[in-house]
Amino acid sequence: MNDIMLADDQTLSQEILNIEDSEFEIVEREEVIYDAKFEGEAISYMRDVWNRFKRDKVTVAATIVILLIVALAIVGPHLNEFTYLKQDTERAYMPPRIPGLEKLGIFDGTRVITIQKKNIQNYEDCLLEIVDEYEIRSRSGSVPMMDIKIDVYKQTDAEDIYYWFGSDSLGRDMFTRLWQGTRVSLILALAVMVVNLSIGLVVGAIAGYYGGWVDILIQRLLEIITSVPQLPLVILLIMWFGSGILPLILVFVLTGWVGISNSVRIQFYRYKNKEYVLASRTMGAKDRRIMYRYILPNAAGTIITNCALSLPFVIFQEAGLSYLGLGIQAPNPSIGQLLADGQKVLLDYPYLLLFPGLVIILLMLSFNLLGNGLRDAFNPELRE
Amino acid sequence: MGKYVAQRLIAAAFAFIIIVALIFFVLFSMPGNIVSDPTIKETVRKAIEEKYHLNEPLPVQFAYFIRNYMNLDFGTSLFVRPGVAVFDVFKERIGVTIQLNLFSALFTLPVGMFFGITMALKKDSIYDIIASSLVVFFISVPGFVMAAALQYFLAYKLGWFPIVLAPEVKLNWTKFHSMILPIFALSFGSIASIARLLRAELAEALTSEYMLLAKAKGLTFRQRVVRHALRNACVPLASTFLYLFIGVLSSSLVIENIFGVPGLSKVLVSSINAKDHQLTLGITYFYVLIGLLMSIAADLSYGIVDPRIRMGGRKDE
Repeated sequence: MNDIMLADDQTLSQEILNIEDSEFEIVEREEVIYDAKFEGEAISYMRDVWNRFKRDKVTVAATIVILLIVALAIVGPHLNEFTYLKQDTERAYMPPRIPGLEKLGIFDGTRVITIQKKNIQNYEDCLLEIVDEYEIRSRSGSVPMMDIKIDVYKQTDAEDIYYWFGSDSLGRDMFTRLWQGTRVSLILALAVMVVNLSIGLVVGAIAGYYGGWVDILIQRLLEIITSVPQLPLVILLIMWFGSGILPLILVFVLTGWVGISNSVRIQFYRYKNKEYVLASRTMGAKDRRIMYRYILPNAAGTIITNCALSLPFVIFQEAGLSYLGLGIQAPNPSIGQLLADGQKVLLDYPYLLLFPGLVIILLMLSFNLLGNGLRDAFNPELRE
Repeated sequence: MGKYVAQRLIAAAFAFIIIVALIFFVLFSMPGNIVSDPTIKETVRKAIEEKYHLNEPLPVQFAYFIRNYMNLDFGTSLFVRPGVAVFDVFKERIGVTIQLNLFSALFTLPVGMFFGITMALKKDSIYDIIASSLVVFFISVPGFVMAAALQYFLAYKLGWFPIVLAPEVKLNWTKFHSMILPIFALSFGSIASIARLLRAELAEALTSEYMLLAKAKGLTFRQRVVRHALRNACVPLASTFLYLFIGVLSSSLVIENIFGVPGLSKVLVSSINAKDHQLTLGITYFYVLIGLLMSIAADLSYGIVDPRIRMGGRKDE
């Protein structure tokens, strides 16, 4: 047997070369060998997003507020004995009275009214205190006047009834109407978002992915759509179709999908020439698979953020239309409808605007905060 | 630059024609017209329809419309302001709307810039945190809720301002005093948007490498901020501001409603309700015109503020 030459010209000793087969022992016969286990846990992209989302207290708080409002919009209209359409003209404009809080002197169902002093006996049974006494001079002499605080619930024999947020001009319970309105506004916003998303995704993907003249054509179309003045168009459409939820959805969809389409298009432009896309194309992936399996997930963050921010925008726009009498039709309430009704009697019954105002501010605020939080959460550069 | 402006103008002209045609056909194919009122006598209705070509098919009406507008004849209002030329109605109403928006812009820009700059310079301080929260708050509060709150507390409870706009035509102190609340209601949201944008841009500019270079050259902090950082941060501001201005011009309707401002939008809504199509068409025409010109101005402003942005270059990426 020849000596085996090694690289550094050393000869292996004969002893090592002449080991009998029987002396060999296969190591892994007894136990299966594994790779070393990772110490930490593998963190997927979505997991990472979730971690960043959780860490931001403000975003979590905003989410809780939104969930709370959504829950109230679902159960709120059934929490008391009223329905949102039940009228009681005897008890119109009742001030808010909330059990528990009434003992603290707020929301206790009282109101300060101005009367002539000689009419005081009409209010004897419900009079709480005399706030002010003064005289108004007119041509026929001076008239003694009084500002008195009365318990409106005693005055209308409604001592065992609680209008938590007061009642409106037709004696409908504001609490029930408010949450019914929130429900309508939220449903409208969600529906608009879903339709916008579907159209925007498809159009944006096509424009961004294929580029060229398809893109130019679509961009010019978008330019025209966005420069049509909103207001006259909206008014015309609503007059044409009548104002209900469906025409309103149409109005908001008409221009609303442009934003989502644009952001999808930009993401497609950015990613369509990446190496991994080329790789998948070489392996025979079809256009549609590349678009929705490989490119779209990159745009998910932008799109989700966009959607979160579009919800309050729709609610806000609908409220604006309601002010002009073009929103959801009465007697169905929406937040905007309630705000517009409240605006008419703002100086006398401010609470009719207070509660819907608070709800819309809370909704807008928490959706905006949620949108910002999502944007940060989806941004991998902010990983710690 | 010249070529780019020309391109933009031609594209805008195309868009303009399409939009106006679109509005025309939507408007005139609506069921009913100004004389559908059943109390109007048949002969009178025939005469009116004859005079304003309402009995002709739509394309013919469209041809009449093009011809009249080419001759700068914008028609007369028939119902909302009977007998008054559309252009006069426009001239009369645009005044107060422009006044309101101009004052709001004059108030918005300096205040918004002040907060944006100070927030960026004192980034992450208590001041920044408080101001940022306020900014988010003011962006979220809808203008009409703000308007209602201002009206109730400042005008009704405290009596500092009149509840509705003073009817004076000329701009004097009484009128201006009554305009303050609508201006506030219009401005708060824009101030917050501008402050937020400028804070983000300036904070980014402050940490960039050219600022380090400027420091190495020996410029003082003030020189660095004003000459280098601020100038770069203001690039997106110009167009955002113009877009905000356009937005305010069309969205001030609700605010105008709340404060009883006799603005353009009010005429627009009533003209649509009364089927006074000539008036609607005329006002929309000018609306679109102003909007398109402003958006061209917004695009061009990029080039004026920032010479690095070449006009007519590739739009994407």
